[in-house]
Amino acid sequence: MSNAKERKHAKKMRNQPTNVTLSSGFVADRGGKHPNGGGKPFQAQKHEPDSGTSRQRQTKMTQHSPPEPDVNEQSSSKVMFKKKGGWKAGPEGTSQEIPKYITASTFAQARAAEISAMLKAVTQKSSNSLVFQTLPRHMRRRAMSHNVKRLPRRLQEIAQKEAEKAVHQKKEHSKNKCHKARRCHINRVLEFNRRQKKNIWLETHIWHAKRFHMIKKWGYCLGERPTVKSHRACYRAMTNRCLLQDLSYYCCLELKGKEEEILKALSPMCSIDTGLTFAAVHCLSGKRQGSLLLYRANKYPREMLGPVTFIWKSERTSGDTSESRQLWIWIHPTLKQDILEEIKAVCQCMEPIKPTVCIQDPVLSPSQEKSQTELPEEKIGKKRKRKDDGEDGKPIKKVIGDGTRDPYQPYSWISPATGIIISDLTMEMNRFRLIGPLAHAILTETLKAASVHTEGEDTEKTPHCWWVETCRNPDSVSLHHRQEAIFELLGGVTSPAEIPAGTVLGLTVGDPRINLPQKRSKILPSPEKCQDNEKVRQLLLEGVPVECTHSFIWNQAICKSVTENKISDQDLNRKRSELLVPGSQLVLGPQESKIPILLIQQPGKVTGDDRRGWGSGWDVLLPRGWGMAFWIPFIYRGARVGGLKEAIVHSQYKRSPHIPGDFPDCPAGILFAEEQAKNLLEKYQRRPPAKRPNYVKLGTLAPFCCPWQQLTRDWESRVQVQGESPVASCPGGEETDLRRGEVLCAPTPEKSHQLSDEVGTSLDDSSEPEGVMDTECPAQAETGWVTGQDAPGSLLCVLRSRQSLKQLSAWCGPSVGDSRAARRAPSRWQQELTREACQAILDCFPRALVWVSLSLLRKGSPKLHTMICVPTKEDFLQLSRDRLYSGPLESKHSDPFKSQIRKQKEKKKIEKRQNRGHAVSKGLAGGDPAAEHQALTLGLWSGPLPAVTSHCSRVLLGFVTQGDFSMAVGCGEALGFVSLTGLLDMLLSQPAAERGLVLLRSPASLQYRFARIAIEV
Amino acid sequence: MAENREPRGAVEAELDPVEYTLRKRLPHRLPRRPNDIYVNMKTDFKAQLARCQKLLDGGARGQNSCTEIYIHGLGLAINRAINIALQLQAGSFGSLQVAANTSTVELVDELEPETDTREPLTRIRNNSAIHIRVFRVTPK
Repeated sequence: MSNAKERKHAKKMRNQPTNVTLSSGFVADRGGKHPNGGGKPFQAQKHEPDSGTSRQRQTKMTQHSPPEPDVNEQSSSKVMFKKKGGWKAGPEGTSQEIPKYITASTFAQARAAEISAMLKAVTQKSSNSLVFQTLPRHMRRRAMSHNVKRLPRRLQEIAQKEAEKAVHQKKEHSKNKCHKARRCHINRVLEFNRRQKKNIWLETHIWHAKRFHMIKKWGYCLGERPTVKSHRACYRAMTNRCLLQDLSYYCCLELKGKEEEILKALSPMCSIDTGLTFAAVHCLSGKRQGSLLLYRANKYPREMLGPVTFIWKSERTSGDTSESRQLWIWIHPTLKQDILEEIKAVCQCMEPIKPTVCIQDPVLSPSQEKSQTELPEEKIGKKRKRKDDGEDGKPIKKVIGDGTRDPYQPYSWISPATGIIISDLTMEMNRFRLIGPLAHAILTETLKAASVHTEGEDTEKTPHCWWVETCRNPDSVSLHHRQEAIFELLGGVTSPAEIPAGTVLGLTVGDPRINLPQKRSKILPSPEKCQDNEKVRQLLLEGVPVECTHSFIWNQAICKSVTENKISDQDLNRKRSELLVPGSQLVLGPQESKIPILLIQQPGKVTGDDRRGWGSGWDVLLPRGWGMAFWIPFIYRGARVGGLKEAIVHSQYKRSPHIPGDFPDCPAGILFAEEQAKNLLEKYQRRPPAKRPNYVKLGTLAPFCCPWQQLTRDWESRVQVQGESPVASCPGGEETDLRRGEVLCAPTPEKSHQLSDEVGTSLDDSSEPEGVMDTECPAQAETGWVTGQDAPGSLLCVLRSRQSLKQLSAWCGPSVGDSRAARRAPSRWQQELTREACQAILDCFPRALVWVSLSLLRKGSPKLHTMICVPTKEDFLQLSRDRLYSGPLESKHSDPFKSQIRKQKEKKKIEKRQNRGHAVSKGLAGGDPAAEHQALTLGLWSGPLPAVTSHCSRVLLGFVTQGDFSMAVGCGEALGFVSLTGLLDMLLSQPAAERGLVLLRSPASLQYRFARIAIEV
Repeated sequence: MAENREPRGAVEAELDPVEYTLRKRLPHRLPRRPNDIYVNMKTDFKAQLARCQKLLDGGARGQNSCTEIYIHGLGLAINRAINIALQLQAGSFGSLQVAANTSTVELVDELEPETDTREPLTRIRNNSAIHIRVFRVTPK
């Protein structure tokens, strides 16, 4: 009990000054007379439970103790109260030796000093607890923290101060406005602007943010996937209905100049080998959208930059002598910087003497900067973008919402030599994509062609002067009517796939908000529209005539005025509410906005035989600021919205490469792969070792990335060795297969693994020390690899020559058995699959990769980084015996790193123990083992990889970059890259009937599964 | 098959696989009613038959059943469409009747140029199609 009491006392006494020093010489023992008496000691030694500090204190006390005995006589008195015990001892002492006399002045001084110390101690509180918290329990009251008056009077002042302080601190943290004020429109807009400084929002951001998982990517905030469970629903929308996507984050580059100059400048960047170029006739006329692959100038087939789509502005029929043409290049934001730099450089190439060929247009940048800086203050009551547009009267566009570049950088460049002007139109337009057969119905229902302005109406009031001007010209009016007629025809076409690929249609439409349906509904194509047969046939055959592709969206000034003169939703709703008959059609007359748009058909699946035209749709280009005005009407007609994930699914089912993940040879693709590997590794390391696959044991060398360089190099050396070996070239492959087959039959799995490795080693280049891999010291052996791995970064190339791909595609299919393939075979330009023909392709594209699509024969759904392997003779034998044979199993590998990790751990433990003994050596030894430990993760191959191709029992051919169960086909499907050398080698060695069969193995599984390889051109 | 009704005979002659790639476009389709069935060669025969049967039978208590369905087959699938219709009839103990119509469908072939200087071309090709009406009659 006394113990508890003592503790309580100590608690009370903590943070009190230890002593009071008084210069005057009088005794401290008079402290007994202190008004506080024994019950309230005013000074005490802080009693700490910790031994170290208490020891220190004790030493301190001992230092002070010597003067203590002669306290009585000393002029300077040192008052010390340690504990209650010490205090108790005090009065006894006083009773023993009472002084004979006291001097009043010194005594008073001493007391004054004590009192001042006491006062000081009372006023200043060093603990971080509040006043009411220090009160004893019996004195506490309810709501003490809230109401100061509930505290004892003496503490009220302090508590008041504390409360004020707390309020101040809280104020700083919280929003300085109440909830209602924060919800106020102006403040919200300010807040939204602040939040999108770093990552730009699309116009549909708020709509998305309420319904989607948002991620920050490529400088934008983008919806990744809907929060509702809708994977299958989105697939159905793509196939049977309509899926809507906001692709406004795509970047647009505009090239203006003479046609021949632009073509001349851009021609080194693309190759006719990979498909049509910028100069394709139908694209050049502006009739169609083109798509192509850009390379660094004159570097084809290496140094790929990325895929782009482009549209030329059609020449006006009215005798515009094609003096200046406009070209829009649409790019994915990850590729933008590289392509923009290259295009600028290409323009520079025309005049290499002048270093500043691509100068920044001097007029443009200041205005842009101005708009940038002014942005925060000048938005009161109006929407940000509109306000901004209204502020700047000059006919120069400015970009405020672009996440892909520094706002202060120039966005327009001119080349004095060629007169080409490159400008960056990113975020100047909205791009919505409608995928699926109902796209036509939704488009025709939502968009109504703008009504032609007649002369009788008052022209002064309307803000849409450009439309009035246009309507004066009878040519333009007739063109508008033709466009309208063609657009109406679309309603009678049940699928966008029936329209020629890449068709462009310009249109001027009225405000889509006006005829917004009351409720969200699903519209269906009306059969009545499908009657006008002859005209529809004409459209399907010929596509849209060239002149109908004209749209005012190409004109920056008109776009700007359209954006500025948009009626706000508020005004529109107010007008609607003022209607005499509620719910009736709102007629704005000439006040109604006219919006120029551009419709571009997106071809769906164009490659391969099955599911032709799947996933086709239309892209709608809108001027800035009109995003939401079109977005909601589309949704009200039954479009389902997808995010980035749906875009990936779309490209996967279309079997088209996804940007940027499926372009391992372009800089963005490399960056993407690195990031992905990092994320996957982090995710992997978050799990405990027992709950994650041990990839070393599974024989997966690179579960998180695809070592393309090493793969292609390995295959090259492999084939070289085969060629050099005395065995004839063609049987050589078979020989190895046979040998491997024998190896497979070996009884113990470990042994077979070792043997197969040996086989691999014997085949491979002798200079590469793979044989040592499985031994205990991989670090030494792999030093040679490190140098080789990083250096030839540019060597990687992907086979994109259409000619060669066609050839390969024909070779990949089984040549007998399938009647269709047999029919296709005797084509004139098709060569037979021979070693010479293969060599010819290989010579052109050494160390190349090929984009392949794989569909599983039976079970299995491939995952990311699934390995594509070459089946052996044995496997084919098994498959022919048993049609249900699912595939061979990989034998378990040994983990050479496990013992290393264990050793390391022990070493660390020992070191730790030692460290505890010798604290001095800690600093020296600490760094090294930690670094080593980071390199070794249980379950992952550490250090440079050994020979990737021959690591497992089946020879590795490539990796899958996209793979999943395909709902479109009903079996597992994968897309990926294989080594060209390996593929040709495999095809040569396989019998004709089983040609094109490969094995797939997921990184976390030992099961191989059969799949058919196909190359689609 | 190669008859071309467009005045494009001259162009036709110079078609070369090196210069053009042939792409077949989807056949023009009318909007589908619920009782239209387009037969293809990919889906399992039994599944397609079951689908037709289900449409005719309706739900569990016979509600939503169609009195007639239309089975459409194009080209190679004509055979299968006939097969399905006959199977339905045979399995109905005389309660179903069939009536067939044949027609010709125009198919569009697209010729994509391989060189920049050529325009893309389209050809029209005809294919035969069958439309079988399977309808319920009251057995006498």
